[in-house]
Amino acid sequence: MPVPWEAFIPFALLTTMFAATGTLVNVAKRGQNDGKPPRYNVDAWDEMMMERDRRLTGSHRGQSVDVEAPKQFATNSSWYTERAR
Amino acid sequence: MSYKDGTKSTLGPYVDPTPLPASVPQVAELGVTSAPLKSAAFFIGAHCKEYNEDFMLCKNENRDPAHCLLEGRRVTRCAADLINKMRENCVKEFNEHWGCLELNNQEYYRCRKPERTLNKCMFDKLGLKKVIPGTPEGQTQIHEVENPIHKRMQK
Repeated sequence: MPVPWEAFIPFALLTTMFAATGTLVNVAKRGQNDGKPPRYNVDAWDEMMMERDRRLTGSHRGQSVDVEAPKQFATNSSWYTERAR
Repeated sequence: MSYKDGTKSTLGPYVDPTPLPASVPQVAELGVTSAPLKSAAFFIGAHCKEYNEDFMLCKNENRDPAHCLLEGRRVTRCAADLINKMRENCVKEFNEHWGCLELNNQEYYRCRKPERTLNKCMFDKLGLKKVIPGTPEGQTQIHEVENPIHKRMQK
């Protein structure tokens, strides 16, 4: 008896579409976060630490284990960008 | 906040217009970012307890930044000293632990396995033990509980 394989095409289509969307979203999120899973439940402390990480390494998710901060760290805080009006 | 005269040219490297006076000794700021710092946090607490407490008591007296510069320099030097020691002795376990934290939203409960190896290495080499202050008496420290309720989904 012939199996109605055409009936399974919609299921395969839907599965593929879900898989493609999910993969695309995952890749986009990881691309924005240097290949790591995104941070969630970020509170004010974490925001402050991520801003400090950006000042130290250039990226919000960049990490480093250097004991001494790079020279720019002393002056690249946003507080230094005040201008005379 | 520093005053910047709007007439100067913006070419050339940025020069700090309001540097600290020469009487204040220069101590390099820590270059450690959030994940390694979180990994080393309890060991900094164990190693630098007196300096940290001095600084907090000093700040309690007066929130003016100029009041606690000396204690602040001591805290920075102590933490830098500990990070140096960790890098010399336990660098592999340290890197594994903060690498795991970075992939898990920097939550401790999801990285107990690398944490246990790091704690063991730190205790053997440097004699520092992770103790969570404020744990009620008689209750095991949460990082030493064998079968915790909150754990990661993968083994």
